[in-house]
Amino acid sequence: MKWLQWGRRDRELEEEIRAHLAMAARDRMNRGEPLEGAQRAARREFGNVALIQEVTRQMWGWRWLERLWQDLRYAARGMRRAPGFAAVAVASVALGIGANTAIFSLIDALMLKSLPVRDPSGLYQVSLGRDDTIESLSYRIVRAVAERKEIFSGVAGFTGWVFPVGLPGAIRNTPGALVTGDFFETLGLRPAAGRLLRSDDDERGAPPVAVISDGYWQRRFDGDPETIGRTIRIAGVGVTIVGITPRGFTGANAGAVADITMAVAMLPIIKPESAALLEPGNFWLRALARLRAGISVPQAVARLASVWPGLAERTVSPSWPPDRQREMIEARFTLKPGGTGWTYLRQIYRTPLLVLMGCTGLVLLIACANVAILLLSRATARQKEIAIRLAIGAGRPRIVRQLLTESALLSGMGAAIGLALAWVLSRALVNTISNGRFPMVFDLTPNGRVLAFATAAAIATALGFGLAPALQGASAAIRRRSRLLAALVSFQAGLSLLLLIGAGLFVRTLRNLENVDPGFQREGVLLVDLEGRRSTVPRDLVEAVARVPGVVTASISTHTPLSGSTWSDPAVPAGQPLPKRDNAIFIGAAPRFFETMQIRLLAGRDFSEHDALGAPRVAIVDEAYAQRYFSDRNPVGQHLAAMVRGKSADLEVVGVARKTLYRGLRRAPYPEIYVPYYQLPDNIPSTLEARVRGRMGQAAQAIQKEVQVKLPDSAIDVRPLSEQVEAAMTQERMLATLASGFGALALVLACIGLFGLLRYAVARRTREIGIRMALGAEKSGVIAMEMRRALRLVAAGIALGLPVVWIASRWVKSLLFGLAPTDPATMAGAVVLLVTAALGSAYVPARRASKVDPMTALREE
Amino acid sequence: MAKQERYQNRVELVQGTLDMLILQTLRWGAQHGYGIGQTIRSRSGDVLQVETGSLYPALHRLEKQGWIRSGWRTSEHNQRAKYYHLTAAGKKQLASEGERWRRVSEAIASLMQPRESGGAL
Repeated sequence: MKWLQWGRRDRELEEEIRAHLAMAARDRMNRGEPLEGAQRAARREFGNVALIQEVTRQMWGWRWLERLWQDLRYAARGMRRAPGFAAVAVASVALGIGANTAIFSLIDALMLKSLPVRDPSGLYQVSLGRDDTIESLSYRIVRAVAERKEIFSGVAGFTGWVFPVGLPGAIRNTPGALVTGDFFETLGLRPAAGRLLRSDDDERGAPPVAVISDGYWQRRFDGDPETIGRTIRIAGVGVTIVGITPRGFTGANAGAVADITMAVAMLPIIKPESAALLEPGNFWLRALARLRAGISVPQAVARLASVWPGLAERTVSPSWPPDRQREMIEARFTLKPGGTGWTYLRQIYRTPLLVLMGCTGLVLLIACANVAILLLSRATARQKEIAIRLAIGAGRPRIVRQLLTESALLSGMGAAIGLALAWVLSRALVNTISNGRFPMVFDLTPNGRVLAFATAAAIATALGFGLAPALQGASAAIRRRSRLLAALVSFQAGLSLLLLIGAGLFVRTLRNLENVDPGFQREGVLLVDLEGRRSTVPRDLVEAVARVPGVVTASISTHTPLSGSTWSDPAVPAGQPLPKRDNAIFIGAAPRFFETMQIRLLAGRDFSEHDALGAPRVAIVDEAYAQRYFSDRNPVGQHLAAMVRGKSADLEVVGVARKTLYRGLRRAPYPEIYVPYYQLPDNIPSTLEARVRGRMGQAAQAIQKEVQVKLPDSAIDVRPLSEQVEAAMTQERMLATLASGFGALALVLACIGLFGLLRYAVARRTREIGIRMALGAEKSGVIAMEMRRALRLVAAGIALGLPVVWIASRWVKSLLFGLAPTDPATMAGAVVLLVTAALGSAYVPARRASKVDPMTALREE
Repeated sequence: MAKQERYQNRVELVQGTLDMLILQTLRWGAQHGYGIGQTIRSRSGDVLQVETGSLYPALHRLEKQGWIRSGWRTSEHNQRAKYYHLTAAGKKQLASEGERWRRVSEAIASLMQPRESGGAL
């Protein structure tokens, strides 16, 4: 290899020149010159040995690589000589690039990563509606669209699902997916073993079969090839495993894992109470489609529009009110790129992640400025070295290249450490945002895109912090350099202020949310989600749980606050017409629900055992409903006309409850109506809740045992209500935590920058300070002077930063709660924090200035 | 920057000619760098002085082009030195360069001294 020969070639060139000099000297001696004079003359005649070597080496080609190696070795030597400087610089870059890469890997995993399927860019997500915010379609619509073979070569409908797997008493909830028959064919997947689901599996009456993921196969069945053909019990039904999906494919839902995949048509078998989902009125499937060869997206949209009225007749629910049906028929299909699959997480985390990406970008800028400051102040120390190198014949481009190599080495090392940091950080981040029963699963292994991002960041960093010092370093203008340094420090201060204010806003948003009174007592309540119909819930279950030691009260309801799902139906005071869109939130609640959740009853009574099927139908309205519909009279005793689960009902109001934040902490209270759980139809969800005293863990275990005995076919999972409330603040918590982390990082980096600048300034002005002190300046005066200098720089930064804050605040407005983006207290707090930190870091160099001995300082020059 | 460019400029200025002179010198046998410089100098009657800053880059360039090869040998004064010798490709190059040079110099000579005819050097 050529470059292995470098060392040898270098030595040979040296020897060649030595031989030349020896021969020239011998010739001169033969002519009678003395030894020493001959040698000197020969060398003089030869010229600049180093330079001639350099020019000669250039003839070899590959020179740039060799020179790069040389520059790198030189840079490494320089770093070893100034380990403190190198450590701070590398750490700055590592933190900057690490933070950026971590956030980018998350963005990549969530929004950019393609599904591991054939030609993901050929997949389009089908949505219906005036805007494409309605991404869900009904089973009938997906099937009807899939039949249009003149438009699509395939349509894959899917949704995440949870399967209770195992024998009674040992049920494990397993994440999975329900898909339409064309799912795997449309995605173009081949089975790792056995076969995948086909369209005939997605027919009513087909035998229940499932395919499992490669991971599940390895974990649960040790990769045993005999697994194919085995039967597993899902919700008590024997389901045959027919195949394994290819390794790496975990379903079309990004961020979730589908260990078990079954056809949608199997739903009535494995979960009869949810069979209604197959009916036309339910929009719950996402659809990815592949266009037929030769059809463009606009063509497909146009054809869909022309066939839709015909399809709509078959697919729109006839039970819907006529104007809703008409609206549906008039809706339009849209197609957007779907190669990255689908996840609800995108909607939630898009803006926060982009804001955080902006934050980390600013952190990186600060880190760049930091290293630039360090390099610039070091350039002064290296002035002599650079002057010598210029004098012995190094060209200016050569010096600039050397200095750039040094900054590239710094940023390269920083990037390498940063990548490792990002690996850890992005995992920690996914853990903070994934709480709940099924953790988010993202493949965060740095892929090509992430590596490219980190590399680009490193190169931009190297150029960003290296170029100015390199150009400046090669020249010798100290005055210009000082001005550049001061500007960099002010720039850092401004950016830090931006991040600190951002952090302050997000932290206060979180605190505001935590302090919101949701209307119920979140602590001390345990929840158990129950599978099955209402009729399958044993009547004595609540009583049994209430007898568990530690349980104070227990109840059962259809929905719990902030669970993410609500039920809405129209209800108005009797005599008024039912509104078409303006619904109230309905909650089916058993007796003692209000006591258990500690929702105060403001008037009337709680539901009792007598409010059962056959008894007069009653309701409890909340404050919000009472204010809206009964502002002038006492609601208790009034009657409501309502549509409850598709059946009209007359409800007598028997009580008024406090308003609660059922739908979300950030949403305004919405009119709510509680109806007796036991007066509701069979097909309703059920959650059991228990208020406990003392140790939650113990009570949870006892409740789990009690419920499992009564419901052997379900996976019983007891979880605290507080966790559910916490989950409602995940986004805000993530923003607050990360933004404060980045704010603190920015502050530390900016302080290091300021410290570096002042130390350099003091070192440079030793003489001036000496003279001042010789002329009678007090130590305290010198300290004050240096502190004033620091303050001026920071003040300039603040003056620059505040208008930017004002502009940038609009972008985060939607993420805040309970305060304006230009919250004066937050701004003032950030300014005070910044100034305090700046003064703190300025004090050390200022004190050093005051310790200057006038005599030494003057003698030194 | 200045110094390095000066050397490079001079190399460029005499490039073709210097290359040709080196090849020509090596026609009579292998020679080391110092010897090549001395030969050109003495054979040109001290008119042409080859700077080492041009000579060594030229030697290494010619070697890279495959017109000359090098090897280590001990000189008559027991000095180990790197000897260069002409390759077949180098001989061909020398022939064509020499031919070109003759034509150019004849043309220049006829322009400068229109009454006389014939050789240069």
